[in-house]
Amino acid sequence: MKYLIAFTLLFASHAFAVDTLHIFTWADYLSPELVKRFEKEHNCKVSIDTFDSNDNMYAKLKAGATGYDLVFPSSYIIGLMKEQAMIQDLDLAKIPNAKNISSDVLEKIQDKKMSHSVPYTMGYAVIGYRKDKVKTAVDSWAAFARTDLKKRMTQLNDMRETIGSGLKFLGYSLNSRDEKQLAEARDVLIQWKRNLAKYDNEGYKAGLDSGEFLLVHGYSGDLWQVAKENEAIALVIPKEGVSIFCDEMVIPTSAPRAELAYAMINFLLDAKVSAKNMEFLGCLCPNKEALKNVDKAFLNNPAITIPAELKAKCEVIEDLGADLPKYTKVWDELKAAK
Amino acid sequence: MKRSYWPSIITACVLVFFYAPIVVLVLNSFNASRFGGRWEGFTFSWYAKLWAAEDVWEALSTSLKIAVLASFSAMLLGTLAAFALHRFRTRFQKTHLSLVTLPLLMPDILMGMSLLLFFVALGVDTGFTTIWIAHVTFCVSYVSMVVLARLQDFDFHLVEAARDLGASSWQTTWRVILPMLAPGIIAGGLLAFTLSIDDYVITFFVQGPGTTTLPLRIYSMMKVSRNMPIINALSTLLLTLTFAAVGLSFLLTRRVKQS
Repeated sequence: MKYLIAFTLLFASHAFAVDTLHIFTWADYLSPELVKRFEKEHNCKVSIDTFDSNDNMYAKLKAGATGYDLVFPSSYIIGLMKEQAMIQDLDLAKIPNAKNISSDVLEKIQDKKMSHSVPYTMGYAVIGYRKDKVKTAVDSWAAFARTDLKKRMTQLNDMRETIGSGLKFLGYSLNSRDEKQLAEARDVLIQWKRNLAKYDNEGYKAGLDSGEFLLVHGYSGDLWQVAKENEAIALVIPKEGVSIFCDEMVIPTSAPRAELAYAMINFLLDAKVSAKNMEFLGCLCPNKEALKNVDKAFLNNPAITIPAELKAKCEVIEDLGADLPKYTKVWDELKAAK
Repeated sequence: MKRSYWPSIITACVLVFFYAPIVVLVLNSFNASRFGGRWEGFTFSWYAKLWAAEDVWEALSTSLKIAVLASFSAMLLGTLAAFALHRFRTRFQKTHLSLVTLPLLMPDILMGMSLLLFFVALGVDTGFTTIWIAHVTFCVSYVSMVVLARLQDFDFHLVEAARDLGASSWQTTWRVILPMLAPGIIAGGLLAFTLSIDDYVITFFVQGPGTTTLPLRIYSMMKVSRNMPIINALSTLLLTLTFAAVGLSFLLTRRVKQS
């Protein structure tokens, strides 16, 4: 028994022994090599814990879990965290590298002045398809209406992304709060649903790779990874515009080591560091200085660079506040539709 | 009478149903494709990547430490609870029984959230100890149910006989009761171990900085990680270890029986 207690104390205490920066993020969302470099430069330890959805992370912090210094939520939930006073205002004087952030990305997100959050990575929800099996070119969300691909297509099992694709197809904003527009989008999506194999968030990558699915709605970073392995796969940014997601860095109000968190944010925004990190992540960091340091082939793919004329039509998914039930209603009707 | 083929066909179907997913997982751990949709060639690269993935090993070791500690604590508390439930049949024990069975029925999310709120209210920092406490909380119920079942066919005459022959109550406990209950206690402990090692929902809430367990890590990897197949490799290794352990214990018991 004595050993048991000693044993436990040993493990319970070791995490707090040195000056440690506690990060709460997605798995494999930071290059381990860069983490080691940061540990050496700042003479500290970095400990990384992971979450698997923004909602779980929010629920946990809201219930009062503390000890985290730096969190990487997606932009749509940051407004809510700010409202609940869960995150600190940032002192940009401590993040000189914030000037490297691409200004066109800042224009799209809610926190344009970086008063409490700093963009880390971004991506789009796009269409991926098999060039070898889909003969006619795809350039629009209307592809989901094609009956020749019946039961070989998937859309994301995500309320905002999928309803957003319908709204975009009709030329509306994907943050529309107009019930008439939403009803129109619902009717389009029900038509599309009859052609889909399913709504899916994970399996579409393997399905597209194996040829089980011929055309899928998915995240640019993921689809690009599949396309790199399988030459038959092409990515398309529908001409009506797409959704942009942005994962950002925030410091919780309760952070015990806010100074180290500032140092980490600044470190990750450094042009060279960010370029290295992008190579590890395989997705885009909105860092204009870093983009000068990365491989040209990396930049010239549709998962990374959106043509300028399309950029204006792309939007970030915003928190809807009290209007959220309008979307849940449409989503329920969509799920129930035959 | 002609022997029917049906029983063997059904057995084969059940075996395929159970083991085909595991076979696919093992095969995919050697597949060069990251997505497992197609066979891209044989590779050991996921095993090499797994070897270098320090945080996965750290998560595994956290999971194992918690599972071992939680199942031992649950074995102790669960056996005591089962004993009390079996020996004393008062109204108080009826309440006790429903309190012990409740965690079996309670949704994990409710338990995770309420435990977290409780720890926050007490001002306890979440971390290794809180995961341990939470796991013991739900494991105790399973252990006590298994031990209780064992106690139902326990012959208490043996205890009386031992006392009659001059054994002290201490000796009776150690020499008679515990050895007879041991299979139940060990079965309960193993059940607790499996439950603890793959719990996700409750652990997510009561876990604190620096104590990510393996299930938490895997769930998160499904979202963004480019190295998901290293989990196939890890599962294959764990599977091999389990089979080796089962095979070894089988060999040992046979040898004991023969001698």
